Amino acid sequence: MEALLTNYYEACSMILFGVGFAVLLLHSNLIKKIIGMNIMDTAIFLFFIAKGYIEKREAPIIVDVYKGVDAYINPVPSSLMLTGIVVAVSTTAFALALTVKLHEEYGTIELDEIMKMKGD
Amino acid sequence: MIIKSFPLVTILVLFISAFIMPLIKDGKLVKTISLASMFLGLILSLTTAFYVIKYGKFYYRIGHFSAPMGIEFYIGNIEAVMGILFTFVSLMIIWYSVYSIDREIISSKISLYYLLINILIGSLLGVIFTNDLFNAFVFIEVGTLASCGIIVVKDKKDNIKATLKYLIMSCLGSGLVLMGIAFIYSITGQLNITFIHKELLSVYHQYPRAILISLSLFTVGLGVKSAMFPLHTWLPDAHSSAPSSSSAILSALVLKAFVLLLIKVLYRAFGMDIITEFPVLNIILILGSVGMIMGSVFAIFQRQIKRVIAYSSVAQMGYVFLGIGLGTDLGVAIAVFHMVGHAVTKSALFLAVGAMIEKTGSKELKGLRGIGKEMPATSALFLLGALSMVGIPVLPGFASKWNLALASIEVDKILIIGIILVSSLLNAVYYFPIIINGFFGEENLKDKIYKSKSKPIKELLPIFCLIFAMIYAGFSSGSIINFIKNGIV
Repeated sequence: MEALLTNYYEACSMILFGVGFAVLLLHSNLIKKIIGMNIMDTAIFLFFIAKGYIEKREAPIIVDVYKGVDAYINPVPSSLMLTGIVVAVSTTAFALALTVKLHEEYGTIELDEIMKMKGD
Repeated sequence: MIIKSFPLVTILVLFISAFIMPLIKDGKLVKTISLASMFLGLILSLTTAFYVIKYGKFYYRIGHFSAPMGIEFYIGNIEAVMGILFTFVSLMIIWYSVYSIDREIISSKISLYYLLINILIGSLLGVIFTNDLFNAFVFIEVGTLASCGIIVVKDKKDNIKATLKYLIMSCLGSGLVLMGIAFIYSITGQLNITFIHKELLSVYHQYPRAILISLSLFTVGLGVKSAMFPLHTWLPDAHSSAPSSSSAILSALVLKAFVLLLIKVLYRAFGMDIITEFPVLNIILILGSVGMIMGSVFAIFQRQIKRVIAYSSVAQMGYVFLGIGLGTDLGVAIAVFHMVGHAVTKSALFLAVGAMIEKTGSKELKGLRGIGKEMPATSALFLLGALSMVGIPVLPGFASKWNLALASIEVDKILIIGIILVSSLLNAVYYFPIIINGFFGEENLKDKIYKSKSKPIKELLPIFCLIFAMIYAGFSSGSIINFIKNGIV
């Protein structure tokens, strides 16, 4: 329990990851699936950025004077997650576009109903 | 040396030429650009391979930033072989698609289709060459979106359904991979595979749980993308509904790149010492063997020929996972060799079947009776490919099965030989009826006119080249396996 409280960022991101994973797998509504996917991705971003954060240090942006290497947090995870966010946004956009297409063709976005219908 | 930059140049050529295509409206010119860029890629990878044979493996720093800060490419024996394989197979598939794609997708989408293919192959080559895990993740995502694109390009009901299923499963997989990278980063502080291995060797005693979690995240995440057995559910729909040139690329190349990344993570980032302390390899071994049997069993019950071949891919990926799971250098070398053999064979099979479906207009197995009389050349090529899948001596399917059996004796797992035998017999159960009904039987051949539906020889040349490459891979299997084995770590 104590370990969970001291690493509350990690614990929180794991819970979010689980929520996202469950929503992605268990719901048959496509929009909910996509939301679940986003929650999962966000959990990973939180986890990664929490790993780069060092307490009582500031963001690695030099304003007036350079305060030495000990004054800033690790910038690598944040920059990686910047890429990660771009990737997540583009997959979400693609998935939503496909959902629109699917709704045009089948008239529903419930995946289990779609699976029952026969294609042409 | 300028040759060291050739892998990067290959990827850049593919990416840059891809984005010229939508500016050009002329379909023929787009096809020419795609073919030319892939041909250039093949020449560059051949040069790289000769360089590797002569001077050994090398690292290439992108932008001349050295390793832990910058991104690195690592070109060893496996990467050299894979570079040739990917560019060769995709060149042949594009060559085939030049004649047939107009009949499968509408003409306004042709330039977009070739854009997606070039990006896909470029990103897969990136996954293979890169020595940086996060870089690999970005290439994986680019590849996933592009491969979804080449399925949905046909714009039918089935395609959209299959693509969405594939996209959701892939996003799940890439999410897990990214989480695995996060765990490794949190205990090592590195993303470069070489440096991760160095750090892990000194800290792995302190973090057994974190390493176990990260190993399983990588295995499941990349397993989803490369159709490891219980996670293969997206594959038959996606591969059977896509245009036949897309199916060939998806089945022959896309699955392979992700398995290769798994091999790199398991054997290079973690290393033999660490993974043998965890049960992950045994689980991969078991899932691989179950996949070998169940993939074939599912294939027997299919009615559409493309679905049969798609399920056969699941079974064949089982062999690859079996090789990885053995946990020896020989096992991994055979897994990589099986990827080579399967890539050339399966792409030839998908293209041959694509030609049959195009001419007969029937996707069902029933509609392909007597095909041997109507399309003798195509059916003969299909027969050769099927023989390799079943494991007839000299062909690569036999070489990998034989060597897998030898490798499993080496680690005292005799049971695996039985599984390989059963799986080969099951392969025969679903490939031979297609061939027998195609060539023999009074009823089947009645009313069929000899060569009535045969394709012009120039359209069959790419399939012929693939089959020729397959036979070559079978004959020189010993030296290829040795070459791969020397370059695992």
